[in-house]
Amino acid sequence: MQRREALKQTALFGVATALFPSLLQSCKETSRLNWQPQFLSVKHAELVSSLVDTLLPKTETPGALEMKVDMFIDLVYGKLNGEAGQETMDKGMDDFDARCKEKFGDRFADLSPENKAEFLKMEEANSPKFNGSIWGTAAGKQEPVGFYRNLKSTALWGYFSSEEIGLKVLTYDPVPGPYQGCIPLAEVGNTYSL
Amino acid sequence: MANFNIDAKKDMTYDAIVIGSGISGGWAAKELCESGLKTLVLERGRLVEHVIDYPTMNNDPWDTELRGAAAAEELKERQINARTGFVGENNIHFFAKDDENPYKEVKPFMWVRANQMGGRSLLWGKQCYRWSDLDFEANAKDGHGVDWPIRYNDIKDWYTYVEKFAGISGEAIGLPQLPDSHFLPPMELNCVEKDVKKRIEKEFPGRNMIIGRVAHLTEPLNGRGQCQSRNRCDRGCPYGAYFSSNAVTLPAANATGNLTIRPFSLADSIIYDEEKGKAVGVRVIDSETKEVLEYYAKIVFCNASTIGTTQLLLNSTSNRFENGLGNDSGELGHNLMDHTYRVGAMGKFEGHEDGYYKGRRPNGIYIPRYRNIDEKSTTDKFLRGYGYQGGAGRANWGAGANQEAFGGEFKDALMKPGDWEFFITGFAECLPYHENQVSLDKDKLDKWGRPTLVIDAEFKENELAINKQIQIDAVEMLEKAGLKDIVGFDNEHGMGYGIHEMGTARMGKDPKTSVLNATNQVHAVKNVFVTDGACMTSSSCVNPSLTYMALTARAANHAVSELKKKNL
Ligand SMILES: Cc1cc2nc3c(=O)[nH]c(=O)nc-3n(C[C@H](O)[C@H](O)[C@H](O)COP(=O)(O)OP(=O)(O)OC[C@H]3O[C@@H](n4cnc5c(N)ncnc54)[C@H](O)[C@@H]3O)c2cc1C
Ligand code: SF4
Repeated sequence: MQRREALKQTALFGVATALFPSLLQSCKETSRLNWQPQFLSVKHAELVSSLVDTLLPKTETPGALEMKVDMFIDLVYGKLNGEAGQETMDKGMDDFDARCKEKFGDRFADLSPENKAEFLKMEEANSPKFNGSIWGTAAGKQEPVGFYRNLKSTALWGYFSSEEIGLKVLTYDPVPGPYQGCIPLAEVGNTYSL
Repeated sequence: MANFNIDAKKDMTYDAIVIGSGISGGWAAKELCESGLKTLVLERGRLVEHVIDYPTMNNDPWDTELRGAAAAEELKERQINARTGFVGENNIHFFAKDDENPYKEVKPFMWVRANQMGGRSLLWGKQCYRWSDLDFEANAKDGHGVDWPIRYNDIKDWYTYVEKFAGISGEAIGLPQLPDSHFLPPMELNCVEKDVKKRIEKEFPGRNMIIGRVAHLTEPLNGRGQCQSRNRCDRGCPYGAYFSSNAVTLPAANATGNLTIRPFSLADSIIYDEEKGKAVGVRVIDSETKEVLEYYAKIVFCNASTIGTTQLLLNSTSNRFENGLGNDSGELGHNLMDHTYRVGAMGKFEGHEDGYYKGRRPNGIYIPRYRNIDEKSTTDKFLRGYGYQGGAGRANWGAGANQEAFGGEFKDALMKPGDWEFFITGFAECLPYHENQVSLDKDKLDKWGRPTLVIDAEFKENELAINKQIQIDAVEMLEKAGLKDIVGFDNEHGMGYGIHEMGTARMGKDPKTSVLNATNQVHAVKNVFVTDGACMTSSSCVNPSLTYMALTARAANHAVSELKKKNL
């Protein structure tokens, strides 16, 4: 469900594009929560917070933590996922941290920025991908993509559908008027938020 | 507009009763009211008044807790509708709850319902295409099903009539297999669609790629506003820019002063008078109080949606009609059809990186049927044909999920539009099979004590053969059009997903093999009309609702003239 919802917020459909892995720019320590999770355990919430901060750190534009993406994922976990989804995600988070410990001797939230980045690079390389989707449904048979890619997708959704990004960073155009099929991108700038 | 007359208590007798207020029922109400008939519309759901009852129409993603997604708890009551993938926080109130009309799926069948004033006219995709004689003659030519009792010429002017009032935008190109409508200006293709169109039409003579024909106003019409490309239609449109019963036909019916609409009125059965040899009214269960009421009228229009209407007719038994009203032929409930759907291909387009568009166009492209339309295009692999819907757009941040990257640069790069992507997905005709059917389970009752339905239907060899070809052609067209990273797919799920369910009370020339005559009257009970999808004799491959509108307007005007002649 969670992924389908995320996809519905994207363009018509989303065939993957491979970008060059970019360098990490954030070194923020986030293992102490400054919010109270409603649904996730504190341990899991700490993992989510540190993950979204590593995935979408602050630059000239706000980072995922400022946009409360971790709190949003807590809600998605509690209200969107249903019981089965919650169990899968719990297990995914425990496995994720167990692999982290095996590799670096610590859970993800407590790793150094360098180790976090290294670990996520491995996760990227090993995680299955989403099929393209059409009208909110995956095209072809979708194999499970695992905890990491699901979380990343939800983090993107939470970040880019947040009010500040939607109104101030992306191009907000609630009432576009008659459709214009072919205009210079330069006239628009950033992608549309709606 | 907040002045619908809902006081059906003071009068139990009307000139006409219309059951259901969706796309077809709205048209029946409008035509009958405008002809001066006092008309009662029975609607099983609540009132939904244009604009007033569209609470989510302006919501941005961040206005709801789950950013437009519906909570698992809310979806529990709508597991069947949720299978569409369309149900979210902003439109969930327009989808029916499953327990309001439970049914048994012998084979997977997704029955998508909207039980409120306006029915599915609030949710539909608005794609509108005329049928042609290729469709009306198909059964007669290949021997599947029975012959339609009408041809294109019988309904051509009625298409024009409903199109002028509904407002259909599109481009006239003169194809015999897809007759042009009376059009408002077409919506525009985007940069990539324009290129792909050129290439497909050049590489594949006989194939066309056109802008979708849709019930959206590209110019103001009758006080309704022009479409603003918000693509939030399924929450209700503040401008009334797309066709719905709520914004278009029911207000027109109401303006005559002849309309009474009774919400929460579940039509249970049609009352047949053995002596008079006709229907005299409708038995109704108040869905809130469970009170049973009887309303009387000279004519009854059944517009409860394909399966809903047939359920009602099957449940209308009498000494004369032990197996359902008008079921002398034994065909009532049979020949259920839908379109196959979700088979096609997608790919990336290189170029136009500096191009974009403005607006969320509530429409895409259409590739009209090109197989089995003449001798040259005839294949021996399958009967009938298919068309495609689709479109191009630029990926947004959603594409980031699959990118092997993360971090600040990654995030900031996602602020810009991504690759251009293009897809097409087929809609194929389904043959009318007698054994694809709905029937009543008298042992299992719904919460109002009505027998529930059993739906037993599947696509067969011909449809599956078409699906294969749909994917092959889709991939080939995308290749020749220069797309990259092409992926073909087949997500066929069984019937119902097309949400174009048709048949089960078909029209025909012969009362022995059909339920309705050429003017949608039950052969043996001429004052009962069925003008929703139940009446369809074959399924064509194009979207059906425009044809329901035209057939309804035609039948309603026939009913009025027959009433005047005292024939009913
Ligand atoms: C997401 C979606 C997209 C679609 N896209 C398209 C498209 O692009 N083009 C197209 O042509 N079609 C499309 N359709 C299909 C289209 O919506 C239907 O064909 C059309 O609405 C059928 O009209 P109708 O009058 O038969 O029934 P409906 O519009 O379904 O209305 C039936 C009404 O009858 C009421 N009712 C049912 N039973 C009873 C009863 N016993 N007593 C009283 N009232 C009753 C219901 O509450 C409802 O209001 C789409 C549908 C959906 C859901
Ligand atoms: S896209 Fe057009 S019809 Fe749909 S809600 Fe927006 S303005 Fe209304």
